[in-house]
Amino acid sequence: MEREQERRIVEAIVLASPEPIAPARIAAVLPGCNPSQVRALIDELNAEYAEQRRAFEIWEVAGGYQLRSLPEFAVYLKQIQKSRPLRLSPAALETLAIVAYRQPVTRAEIEHIRGVDAGAVLRSLLDRQLVRIAGHREVAGRPIVYATSRRFLEVFGLAKLGDLPSLRAIEALAEAGEDADALAEEAVQDGVASRPDALDEDDAAQDDLAAEEELAAAEEEAPPPGVTTH
Amino acid sequence: MTAAGPPSSSPPWGSDPSYAVKLPIFEGPLDLLLHLIRINEVDVTDIPIARIAEQYIQYLDLMRELQLDLAAEYLVMAATLAWIKSRMLLPPDPSAIQEDGMDPRAELVARLLEYQRFKEAAGEIGDRPLLGRDVFAAQAPAPEPPPEGEREVEVGVFELVEAMRRVLARPAHTGAAHEVEVETITVRERMLAVMQVLADRAGCEFEDLVREDGHRASRPILVTTFLAILELTRLEAIGLYQGVDDAGVPRGAIHVRRRGEGADRTWIERVSDLM
Repeated sequence: MEREQERRIVEAIVLASPEPIAPARIAAVLPGCNPSQVRALIDELNAEYAEQRRAFEIWEVAGGYQLRSLPEFAVYLKQIQKSRPLRLSPAALETLAIVAYRQPVTRAEIEHIRGVDAGAVLRSLLDRQLVRIAGHREVAGRPIVYATSRRFLEVFGLAKLGDLPSLRAIEALAEAGEDADALAEEAVQDGVASRPDALDEDDAAQDDLAAEEELAAAEEEAPPPGVTTH
Repeated sequence: MTAAGPPSSSPPWGSDPSYAVKLPIFEGPLDLLLHLIRINEVDVTDIPIARIAEQYIQYLDLMRELQLDLAAEYLVMAATLAWIKSRMLLPPDPSAIQEDGMDPRAELVARLLEYQRFKEAAGEIGDRPLLGRDVFAAQAPAPEPPPEGEREVEVGVFELVEAMRRVLARPAHTGAAHEVEVETITVRERMLAVMQVLADRAGCEFEDLVREDGHRASRPILVTTFLAILELTRLEAIGLYQGVDDAGVPRGAIHVRRRGEGADRTWIERVSDLM
C-alpha cells in the first residue's frame, strides 16, 4: 500500500474515533503495519498539518491518538460549545496536583499538604471524573485512596502519567528566576509539541514517576475491588 | 496586595478603615503564610516568626471583620505560630529530652516547602492546554446501539382506548364471596400506584397495570387507572409506546415507560399542585 494511502487511512480512523484510539488498534486494521509505524504515520500527518497551517493536530493522550484544535482557537470554540467550558479553581488544581504526584493518596494526606479540608474539592473532582477511587489502604480505618483517572490524562493532554513534568523540574523552574510564572508559561508553550521528553531529562526525577507508571499499568490490568469510578 | 512589607505596628492593609481592601483569596493557612513570607521578602527556611505571626493574626482579624468564614484550620495555624514563637523565646529546657537542637520552626518550614511545591505543580498543570478549555477534540459520536427488540412509535389515545376495550372484554376477577363494598378510588391514588410500579423499572405493559393477581381488576380500578395513565401522559411523567408491524401500523401490546431522568420529581410536584 502506498504510504500516502496509509496516512489517509490513519487520518480517517483518528478523525472518526469518539475517544483517543490506541496505535495498536490502528495497526490492527492496516495490513503489515505495527504500532511504531503508526506513530511514524501520525508524525508525518502532524508535519503535514503544520506545513499546511491547519487548525488542528493529532495529540497522543491517555495512550491513544486524538484530533484536537490548536489552543489559539479556544476563544471561538468556547462560544460554540454547548457544554460549559472547563474551569478548575486553584483549590481543584492543587488537589489534582497532589493526587497526580502522590497517588494513591488518602484524603488526610491531601489535607495535611494543603492545610485545609479537601472533602468538597475531592467530591467535585470525582464528579468530574478527573480523580477516581483506587481502593483502600490496608491500615487502621482502611481509608480510601485516590488516584487520577484516564479522563485526567485526556483533559491535561498527557499520553501517560510519566509525562507529567517532575516535581523536581518544576522546582528548578521556579528557582531559576524571580519571574517563575513567565518561565512556566514559556515552558508549556515550548513543551506542547515535544512534551514527552521535554522536562524528563533528570534521571532522579524519573524515580518519582516510576511508581506512578506502575500504578497506571496496574490500572489497565485490574481495577482494585470496590472501585466505583474509572 | 502590592504594598511592600508593612510596618509591624500597623495592620498590613493600612490604618484607614475606609480603605478598600482587595484581599487575595487564600487557599488555606499555608497559602496565607507563603503570601506573608513573600511580601516580607524573607527566607522560608528562616522565618522571622514573631513578625509573621503578628501579621498572620492581623489577617485573621481582617477576615473576621469582613465576615469571611474562617475555617478552623486558620485558627489551628495561629495556635501553632504562637507555640513556635514561645518556643523560640524560651531558653532550651534542660530537663526536656534533647531534641538535637531542633529548630521549633522546622516542621512548619517542611510543610510550607511541601505545599509550595504542589502549588507550583498546580500552576504548571493548570497552564497546560486543557481539553474543553484551550483545545477541543474532534467529536465523532459513538455509533448508536441498534434499537431494542422492536421498532416502536409513540401512541395516542385511540390505541389506548382500544387496549382498554380489550381489557374490559376479559372476564373480571370474581371473588368467591359476594361482599358489597364501596371502594373509593381516586385518580390520584392510581397515578401514585402506576408510578410505584414504574419506580424500579423503566417500563411495563399497559395491561400489567390493570391486572390484579392475574385477573382483570375491578371496573372502578380499571377506569381510574385508565384516567391516571392519561393524566400522567399529559404531565409527561410517562410515555406510551406500541410496536409497529411491517406496514408501519401500530400493533401489539402498549408499553408504558417512565420519562427521562428527574421526571419523578416534576410529576410529583405537578400532581400535588393538581390535587
